[in-house]
Amino acid sequence: MTESPQKHKILVVDDEPDLEPLMLQRMRRYIRTGVYEFVFAHDGVEALEALEADAGIDMVLSDINMPKMDGLTLLDRIPDVSPDIRAVIISAYGDMKNIRIAMNRGAFDFVTKPVDFDDLKFTIDRTLQHIREWKEALSARDKLVVLQNELNVASMMQQSILPNKFARNDDYKLFGTMQPARNVGGDFFDVIGLSDDRVGLAIADVSGKGVPAALFMMSSRTLLKGAAMRTDGPGEALTEVNDVLNEDNDACMFVTMIYAVYDPATGVLTYADGGHDPPLVIHADGTSTQLPVTDGLALGVLPGFDFLQHSYELSPGDTVILYTDGVTEAINAEEEQLGLARLREAFEADPPGDAEDAGHRVIDLVNEFAGDVPQFDDTTCLVLRREN
Amino acid sequence: MEISADRDGGAVIARANGRIDSSNSREFHSSLEAVIDEDDSAVVLDFEDVSYISSAGMRVILLTAKGLQSSGMKFALCSMNDSIREVFKISGFDKIIQIHGSQSDALAAVSA
Repeated sequence: MTESPQKHKILVVDDEPDLEPLMLQRMRRYIRTGVYEFVFAHDGVEALEALEADAGIDMVLSDINMPKMDGLTLLDRIPDVSPDIRAVIISAYGDMKNIRIAMNRGAFDFVTKPVDFDDLKFTIDRTLQHIREWKEALSARDKLVVLQNELNVASMMQQSILPNKFARNDDYKLFGTMQPARNVGGDFFDVIGLSDDRVGLAIADVSGKGVPAALFMMSSRTLLKGAAMRTDGPGEALTEVNDVLNEDNDACMFVTMIYAVYDPATGVLTYADGGHDPPLVIHADGTSTQLPVTDGLALGVLPGFDFLQHSYELSPGDTVILYTDGVTEAINAEEEQLGLARLREAFEADPPGDAEDAGHRVIDLVNEFAGDVPQFDDTTCLVLRREN
Repeated sequence: MEISADRDGGAVIARANGRIDSSNSREFHSSLEAVIDEDDSAVVLDFEDVSYISSAGMRVILLTAKGLQSSGMKFALCSMNDSIREVFKISGFDKIIQIHGSQSDALAAVSA
């Protein structure tokens, strides 16, 4: 890693008065170029006071035998001031006993008297290098914690906007579920009560992941709710949402969406696609129909785009599955995608008898297919079954 | 992600590879920007070696398309596998970004 030279402050602790001028003299080149800055203390007590007063001190270079508080006691006390300070001790040549004690008390290294300044320079640089790496590791860890917290917020936002109670009446039944990806995707679904007992159904997938996706998801969902109640049909609703999302969208975020309105009085499902996979209808006999796209476009991409809509009359026993690409693009160990064909086959053999059952089966199918392979996308479906 | 670049006339042909998803979309974006010169008149992004693109990658395509449009440069995509082509069709992105079957078709279109 390349970085501009960083200034390091080193506290030198020694009761002998001759070390200070010697140090300043021998290290003058590095002091002048701003690599090191030295501060001095004459015993352990003074050293602790200096450390308390100046959080900028990275390293301590200390003698062992000193009045008031010796270097070994000082070693014990340094972590109380900051666990990130590293200490190097200066011991008498051959004093293995104290060197061992010092190392056991957490000294980073030692040098011996009489001080060889080339060796000292090497030792200081090695210690400072360690300190830099240690601080980088700490900072990386802190960033990771912040990121993790943000992702938790994103995940909570996502979960909090999903409906969890679904209409179950004689005319139709609804069920929706989302299995979040580990790195928080941007899927959501919504159920919106409309006039004349009609119901609005939305499923959507926001580009990207994490907090930006969660925020974009929140605004898309709120805009759709408003547009759904104000407008006459799904095409008009998407046109309105798209125009608002395009205002100030320099980040080029977008959301793909199906918005459908079901009228239980007629059994007609009217839908518009905003660049999203169209609805799949599973019939009572297990055959299925993928409804034609309405030739839409992801929302947030192009202002003024006119969204069209199609209608399809459901027969009693028809099950409409709205899904996101987390379902069809689920990957198995062979890196194959699940694909729409496998989804249709699964229901062909065993047609769904219930909306909730169908929803769970979609998620189960994905999980069985994926096995242990981690999935990078949310897996979401919203199911409507016409009963009568 | 490494993006290789060749030049043909005034066009730069950029070749991406592998999976483009939220784990590398940022890198994809900076690599793509790095191969485009101000002097280029057009950019052809070749998908021959791309196996998958997620919505995060699609967002980079959209950002690039809008950026190039505002600086008056042409932009075309080519040589996509069937599933990626389908993603561009379903999302409607093929309505706003031109997509060609082969690199030569894309080059011909942006040179015209």
